[in-house]
Amino acid sequence: MSMLEKLQPIFREIFDDESIIITKQTTANDIEDWDSLTHINLIVAIEKHFNIKFALGELQSLQNVGEMLALIEEKVKKNE
Amino acid sequence: MNEYKLKDMIVGLTQSFSVDITNEMMDLFLRLSGDNNPLHIQREFAKGMGFSDRVVYGMLTSSFYSTLAGVYLPGKYCLLTGIDVSFHKPVYVGDRLTITGEIEFISESTGQVEMKARILNQKNEKVSKSKIKFSLLE
Repeated sequence: MSMLEKLQPIFREIFDDESIIITKQTTANDIEDWDSLTHINLIVAIEKHFNIKFALGELQSLQNVGEMLALIEEKVKKNE
Repeated sequence: MNEYKLKDMIVGLTQSFSVDITNEMMDLFLRLSGDNNPLHIQREFAKGMGFSDRVVYGMLTSSFYSTLAGVYLPGKYCLLTGIDVSFHKPVYVGDRLTITGEIEFISESTGQVEMKARILNQKNEKVSKSKIKFSLLE
């Protein structure tokens, strides 16, 4: 299963929308409920699911889901 | 009132307090919420439904989760962002409840903290449990 496929159910649960399909190009503007609080919930869910920790400020420069994926993959690899 | 900040949060940190449920609390909650369901205000109706007395509002007992977060853990700097609650046993007037919270997860990147919490009655029965999410005001 690709990292994108692993992220898909997390997005659906956090945004409470089974129809969400994310791609590497998806941004916060593409998902109506992606506000500051759901963003926090999403990040926390990803940290818990992949057993990783993002650093303070590390997330602000991310432009889309693809960049988020790259960061997750990098952190998961470090854990291995 | 406790004054924990994000830097003080550690997994396993626990706080607890107790409260006695009174008729006055039930009357005040009725006035506040307008929930006049007979299960909460008519003893005979509640007994007819198989309960031993009128049932204390689940959301009244849940209000103590607010107290747990806002006063005890973390206290002064708490900003409650979410709570999931479930009810497991009825609570009656006269019950003594003990509310306990334990820090379960800390996300330093977002400042969000998750706490699992439970309410036990005087017989040590779990009447409610919850997952509480909060941030800390800096």
